[in-house]
Amino acid sequence: MSVDNQSLAQRRAPLVPIRSALPWLIASGFLLLLPQVFPSGAGLTIMNQMAITIVFALAYNMLLGQAGMLSFGHAVYMGLGGFFCMHLLNQVEYNDLYLPLPLLPLFGGLFGLFFAFLIGSFSTRRAGTVFAMISLGVGELIAACSIIIVVFFGGEEGVSGDRTMGPEVLGFDFASQLEVYYLTAIWLVVAALGMYLFSRTPMGRIANAVRDNEERAEFLGYSQRYVRWISFCASGFFCGIAGALFAINFEILTEENLNLATSGSILLITFLGGVGFFIGPVIGAVVFTLLQTVLSLYTEIWQLYLGILFVLTVMFFPFGLTGLIAMHFRPWNLGKFGLLVRPYAVMAVPALVFVSSAVAVMEILFHARHASIGDEEMNLFGLTINTHSQVPLLVACVAVVVSFLVIKRLAPGLKEAWDEANHQERGAP
Amino acid sequence: MTAAAIQLHDLQKSFGLARIIQGVDLSIEQGERHAIIGPNGAGKSTLFNLITGKYVPTAGQVFMHGQDVGGLKPYQINRMGLSRSFQITNIFAKMTVFENIRCGLLWSMGYKYSFWHLINRQRAVSERADEILENINMTARRDELAGVLTYAEQRALEIGITIAGGADIIMLDEPTAGMSASETSYMVDLIRKVTKDKTLIIVEHDMGVVFDLADRISVLVYGEIIATDTPQKVRQSAAVQEAYLGSALEEAH
Amino acid sequence: MSLFIVNILDGLVTGLLLFMLCSGLTLIFSMMGVLNFAHASFYMLGAYFGYQISTYVGFWPGLVLAPVIVGVIGAAIERYGLRRVHQYGHVPELIFTFGLALLIEEVVQFFWGKSQMAFEAPEALKFAAFSIAGNAFPAYKLFMIFIAIGVFLVLLYILTKTRIGMIIQAALSYPETVQNLGHNVPLIFMGVFGVGTAMAAIAGVIAGPVLGTFPGMAVLLGSIVFVTIVIGGLGSLWGALAASLLIGWLQTFAAAYNLRMADLLTAIGLSEPVDMAESMLSDLWTLTLPQVGPILPYLLMIIVLALRPQGLFGKRET
Repeated sequence: MSVDNQSLAQRRAPLVPIRSALPWLIASGFLLLLPQVFPSGAGLTIMNQMAITIVFALAYNMLLGQAGMLSFGHAVYMGLGGFFCMHLLNQVEYNDLYLPLPLLPLFGGLFGLFFAFLIGSFSTRRAGTVFAMISLGVGELIAACSIIIVVFFGGEEGVSGDRTMGPEVLGFDFASQLEVYYLTAIWLVVAALGMYLFSRTPMGRIANAVRDNEERAEFLGYSQRYVRWISFCASGFFCGIAGALFAINFEILTEENLNLATSGSILLITFLGGVGFFIGPVIGAVVFTLLQTVLSLYTEIWQLYLGILFVLTVMFFPFGLTGLIAMHFRPWNLGKFGLLVRPYAVMAVPALVFVSSAVAVMEILFHARHASIGDEEMNLFGLTINTHSQVPLLVACVAVVVSFLVIKRLAPGLKEAWDEANHQERGAP
Repeated sequence: MTAAAIQLHDLQKSFGLARIIQGVDLSIEQGERHAIIGPNGAGKSTLFNLITGKYVPTAGQVFMHGQDVGGLKPYQINRMGLSRSFQITNIFAKMTVFENIRCGLLWSMGYKYSFWHLINRQRAVSERADEILENINMTARRDELAGVLTYAEQRALEIGITIAGGADIIMLDEPTAGMSASETSYMVDLIRKVTKDKTLIIVEHDMGVVFDLADRISVLVYGEIIATDTPQKVRQSAAVQEAYLGSALEEAH
Repeated sequence: MSLFIVNILDGLVTGLLLFMLCSGLTLIFSMMGVLNFAHASFYMLGAYFGYQISTYVGFWPGLVLAPVIVGVIGAAIERYGLRRVHQYGHVPELIFTFGLALLIEEVVQFFWGKSQMAFEAPEALKFAAFSIAGNAFPAYKLFMIFIAIGVFLVLLYILTKTRIGMIIQAALSYPETVQNLGHNVPLIFMGVFGVGTAMAAIAGVIAGPVLGTFPGMAVLLGSIVFVTIVIGGLGSLWGALAASLLIGWLQTFAAAYNLRMADLLTAIGLSEPVDMAESMLSDLWTLTLPQVGPILPYLLMIIVLALRPQGLFGKRET
């Protein structure tokens, strides 16, 4: 009995702040040093874009991953926050409104919060499929309204502004990309920390409970409806911050920021990264931004690949990329990670061949069908291929089939290794 | 003279044309242990759901401590001091055992919808949760995910979550369903221990459990209570025997 | 008056087209509990297959073959995709169908490119069926109405008068019981999904020549379809019909009558702002009914949800 008391007391000791703050300090340091590694304008642009997407994705996951609410129209909260900030910037420029730029995201957040509160008042009454459909309808409504309400949304051209017109802060006027990067990075850390801490509050926990079992949660004394509403508002707040960062970075907001495509892509990003982990959306945002910028340089059908990746993820890896990584913790902890190295290495070869030949098939077909007349050759993996001759296509098809068969043959071996790596011996600690 | 803990007055519930509960009158005193038994399809779950706010009565009233609670939402009824467990285990599988219990405590300890407290820092909640864990003998499994527990352990956890909030009316829906004899007797002891001084209403099929725990039994048949009395008298009642025997005969055909 | 009748008919065409999509969606939802976000994508596939077949052998074979092809594809997706994801829950199912919609749009662009296809109505129907005071009503639109009503009647007959319809209705509420009675419920699921998508494809084939066959056609119609079934009440076939017709007429009439907000406001005594360009209310004053047309379904959805959350014909949850 006394031993139990002792271990109880140990577990009850408050978490030492330094240990849990460490990842955040490392991340902040990393963000600080990043511009040194990628100082080019293009590099900074990509990093800024990633940062904004990360905030948006984390905010979206407050709803999807933590509260279990699927929204098809969430772009509007980011967009509305952004539009509001653009108007504030214009007020700063033309009407002498005193607003230092670093404070702008706060107002974006408040505007997003306001609209989430308004819309959540009726949309969060029901959960699940009905909520998803309502969110779709509301999202489309606001996107459609943006063409009509020109005074706020700027019509076809959107609303643009100038971020440098405000008062100087510590000598910065935020004209340079680097200054904008640091502002964005600081807000990224602040927002992410805020969302992380939210998940560790009673509200955050109960949101999880309502997500897992709404009936049960009611018998803990919580109205599932209000829990959903509050989660929705919190998400809207941080979406607004993301919108403000977008406004600061790109200095223009258009209907595109509100539409279904944007709502859809944030769903894709968050799900790809993994909704069950706090860091999931971060990984999803980084990977997606890289794919979007890098892949689009090499192929015209990158969106098709993204679509395929998305569907495969839902079907086979619903825990996302983070889940895929997290799957390996158990073998690691059991010390059996080594068992996986060889099967993975062996499988890697046919897998690589499969993917590249499948890509080749699609690229060749696409080029053959859609390239301008007379354009017979294309550049694939550094080789020049005549897409109108049968040979390359045939080779690629054969490669796809053969590698697939090889994979099928190797699969049971990999599964065996996996089971073994996860197997905990009886009686082991 | 304190009001009855639960009082049902001519309670009726129909789904479309199907009359499930056809006029139930029942009074359960505070501190009483009351069992509701009856053949399958008698409407026991429906009765439970009517009392706990999941269903709205078609007619009649439900009184809790003298107050009419018909039409109130489950969370409102819960805040008034009633808590229930579920027939199909309804725990939070993705949370640890400790977190499950802790969730049950949050409202009753006043945290409400707070997003300005860091939950891991709240000593009082953690200590209380650990206390409850000890009460239900689950301290050893404190940090395991609830989803990996055995069936009996999950049922015990379910009881733990139910009593965590400090409700004084505890309603248990077939708590020993699917358990072996030893698990059942363990569960009965657990229930008796954690519901001391509280009002207990329990739906059960296992007669051993019923006679062990209950002060009084109500027999529900086709949506009506045909008998409410001490276990001894109910066992000897001709009407009850006919109800059970009669339904057994029907099933045999 | 004649314009009114033309609008009634035009609205009927739109509404019935919408209903063809909504009914398949409702059937799938009632049956399997999953809202097929990709439903409008099957509509698009129908149009594209119909077009492709029509370039080889003509419109009429396309009308018959395209739905069959799409139905088979739909059934295969249910069997190998949806069924797999079903075990993870409703939200992953929705996300899966959403991803499917994305993928189908990309696949369509992969094969047919981004521009609009020259999908034409068949020569046999390229005449004016009748004219009302100078407004000619194309025979093709009449044909669309007949096809849509025909499909609806066939559906009604199957569901209420045939054995398989009874089984489907039973499986709607008690799939396990029906399975225990010996019926192959997974097969029924696959069939219902296939039939639902085939219906969407029929709508696509007949709408393609009129509404245009291009990669964005699914997104355009898709959100209206979901709004419509929310208004009608999720799971109710009659609700879907009522809501579809309502939306069809609403949109047609809104586009046809150029009511101006300015006229309305001056009629109640408010005066137009002098400098319209600078006024904050300029959007309100320059508002016309055709402008508002596209957002009317969404507005209607919000109003219905506020007043009657279960939709017009939906069942209230106990």
